[in-house]
Amino acid sequence: MSATWHAAPEVLDRYAAEDLNDVHASSLEAHLLRCAHCRSSLSARAQSPRLEAVWTGIEDALDAPRPGVVERLLLRVGVRGHVARLLAATPSLRLSWILAEAIALGTAAIAAQGAAGTNRAGASLFLFLMLAAVAPVAGVAAAFGPGVDPTYEIGIAAPMRSDRLLFIRATAVLCASLVIAGVAAVALPRSDWTVTVWLVPAFGLTLATLALATWVRPIAAAVVVGLGWVLLAAAASIASTDPLAAFHAGSQLLFLGLIAGSVVVLARRHAAYEGRIPT
Amino acid sequence: MTIRADGDDELIAAVATGDREALAELYRRHAPWLVLRLLRRCADPGTVEEVVQDTFVAVWKGAGRYRATGEVPAWIWGIGIRRLISRLRQRPMPIAAAQDEAMVSAEDEVLIGVEHGDLGAALGRLSPELRAVVQATVLDGLTTKEAATLLGIPQGTVKTRAARARRELREALA
Repeated sequence: MSATWHAAPEVLDRYAAEDLNDVHASSLEAHLLRCAHCRSSLSARAQSPRLEAVWTGIEDALDAPRPGVVERLLLRVGVRGHVARLLAATPSLRLSWILAEAIALGTAAIAAQGAAGTNRAGASLFLFLMLAAVAPVAGVAAAFGPGVDPTYEIGIAAPMRSDRLLFIRATAVLCASLVIAGVAAVALPRSDWTVTVWLVPAFGLTLATLALATWVRPIAAAVVVGLGWVLLAAAASIASTDPLAAFHAGSQLLFLGLIAGSVVVLARRHAAYEGRIPT
Repeated sequence: MTIRADGDDELIAAVATGDREALAELYRRHAPWLVLRLLRRCADPGTVEEVVQDTFVAVWKGAGRYRATGEVPAWIWGIGIRRLISRLRQRPMPIAAAQDEAMVSAEDEVLIGVEHGDLGAALGRLSPELRAVVQATVLDGLTTKEAATLLGIPQGTVKTRAARARRELREALA
C-alpha cells in the first residue's frame, strides 16, 4: 500500500471494537506496521486508563532491583520466582558461603592428595571425609534463625508454612553441599568407593539436625549433631587401627537407621516449626 | 509524558542510553495498536496487558541490540507476539474465537469502502481454521512451533493446514 492511502475511520473503529473480519483486519495490520498516521489515528480509539496502568507496571518493573547471580541462576534452571527469591536470601547459599565451603573441602582434598603414600595418608583422608559429611549440617544451621537469616521476620510472616520453607532451603543447601564435596572428592588420591563414603553420613547428619531442630533452635541442633559426629568419628578412628573406621559398613547401616528415624520424627513433628523457628 | 518529535529509530537509540522519556514516547506511540492487535490473538485482556508490559520491558533491555532499519513497529510486534506465545505456553487458554464469516459480505465491502484484489477474496474464502494458520505463519511471521502454541493445535496440524491453505489459494488465484 502506498503511503498516501489511509484506512477509513470506520475501518479503524471496527478494528478497535474487534468487529472487523479477518481479511480486512490482516490487511489493516500489514498497513499499520508501515503507516504512522493510521497508528496514531488508531491510538485515539484505544482505552487509555488501561494503558496508563500498564505503563505504571512497566516503570515498576524497570525500578525493581536486579536479582543477584544465585537468583538468576535458579530462575534460569526453572525454579519459580518466589522460591528463587527465598533460596537466594538463604545465607548459606550466598556466593561467599559456597566459596568458603569449596575452599575448606578443596584444601582438605589437596592435603589428602599431598599426604598420599605417607603415614599421614589415612588421617588426612579421614579429615576430608569427616568435613564433607558435616558441611551440609553447618549450611543448614546457617540458613535459619534471627541474626543469621536476613529474611527471618519476613519468613515468619510469609504466607508459606515454615516447615515448607525450611525443607526447600535445607534441600537446596544439601544439594549445593553435595555438589561441592563431590567435585572436591575428584581431587582425592583414591578413586575407589572411599571417595563416596561421606554421602550417607551427610544425609543422615542433615536429617538428624532437622529432626532435632523440631525441639531446639537449628543452631543448637547443628552444634550437637556436628560436634557429636566429629567426636565419635575421631574416637572411632583413634580406637581402631583403620583411620576410616567411622565410614565402614557397620556405621553406614547406623546412618541409614538415623535417616529412617529422622524421617519418622520429621513426619510427626514438622508442624513444630510453624511460627517458631526457633523458639 | 512530554511529547517528542524524534523518529522511532532515534527514540530506540535514546532508550539504549537509558532515557526513560524516550521509552515513554515509544509506549505512547506503539502500545495502543499493539494491545488491539494482540487482543485479536488472545481474548483475555489481563494476559494481553501482561504481554504488553513484558514487551516494553524487553524493548528497554534490548534497545541496544536493535539495528536501525526504520522498522520499529515490526520489531516491537515481533517481540510482542513472541512474549504472548511464551505466556500461552506457560498457561494455555482459549484463543480469540476465529470469525466465522468465511466470505467478506458485499455489505461490508460497501460500508468499509475497501476493495480487495483477488488475494483478499481468496483469503476470504478460506475456512476460519485455515485462515488462522495463514495469518499466524505468513502475516505474523511465526514458525510452525510458535503458530502451534498460539493457536493451541499440534505442530503437525499447522503443517497440514498450511499446505491445504496454500493449495486452495493457488487454485483460487490460478
